Amino acid sequence: MSGNKFSVTTQQDNDKVVVQLQGDLDLAAAKEFRAFMGPIVDDAAIDLALDLEQLTYIDSTGIGILISILKMRHEQQASFTIVNVPPHVQKLFDMTGISKFLTPNA
Amino acid sequence: MDKERALKRVKLALPAQAEYVELARLALYGIASRIGFSYEEIEDMKVAISEACNNAVLYAYDSPGGMVEILFEVNDDEIGITIQDEGSSFDAERKTSSLAGWHEKSLDEVQAGGLGFYLMQALMDEVEVMSVEGRGTVVKMKKRLQTSGELI
Repeated sequence: MSGNKFSVTTQQDNDKVVVQLQGDLDLAAAKEFRAFMGPIVDDAAIDLALDLEQLTYIDSTGIGILISILKMRHEQQASFTIVNVPPHVQKLFDMTGISKFLTPNA
Repeated sequence: MDKERALKRVKLALPAQAEYVELARLALYGIASRIGFSYEEIEDMKVAISEACNNAVLYAYDSPGGMVEILFEVNDDEIGITIQDEGSSFDAERKTSSLAGWHEKSLDEVQAGGLGFYLMQALMDEVEVMSVEGRGTVVKMKKRLQTSGELI
C-alpha cells in the first residue's frame, strides 16, 4: 500500500554510527523504528547521528521518538546529532519548539 | 465558471489501524493538488489529517474493528476535512486544553503527548474538536488557498 515505506540504513565507522532514515516515519513505522534504535541508543560509547535527508514525512509520533532518543542520550551524557533536516521537517521542529533541542545549529 | 463552484464531497472510510493512515494522506494529496494547493500547504495538511487519524487509531476504540471516516469538502478556494470515529475513550477537552508547544520548556519538561493537537491548530486555518462521551470524536479542519489569483 505504501508510497514512501519507511526504512533505515546504518553506516558505522569505528565509534561513529550514522542512521539514515528513508520514507515516512509515521504511526505505522513507529514501533519498528523504536525497536531498531533501542540497542543503538543504549550504547553510550557510540557517537550517534541521525541523517534525515531522505525522510519524506514525520508527525508527532516520529517527533516523540526523536525526543525520547534525545532524552536518553542526554541522561547518559552520550553524543547525539540530527543532520540534513529537510525544510518541511525543520518547519515542524520550529513550530513545536523542539529545534533548540534537536537541531540547535540549523 | 460558476457551475464549478459547487461544493464537492469525497468520503473515505478506513479501518482504525496505523497502516491505513497513509491512505488518508494519499487521498488528501490527490484532492488538494487538484485545486491548486502548493507542495508546502499539502505537506502541512498531510500532517494535520494524520494527527487526527492517529488519535482515532490510538485512543478511540478499545477493541479491533473500529473505523475512521473522513469527509473532504472541496471548494475552488478551500478544503474542509472532517475526521470522525465512533469510539468511546477519547477525552478531547483534556487533550486540547494545553496547546502551547514546547517553546518555553526545558528538555526535562517535554512530553510527546498532546503535540498532535498543537500541530493541527498550527498547520490549519481552522480546527474544531467535538467529543461526545461514548459516541466518538469529530475533528473538523479547514484550509484556504493562500494564492487569491484569478481563476481561468
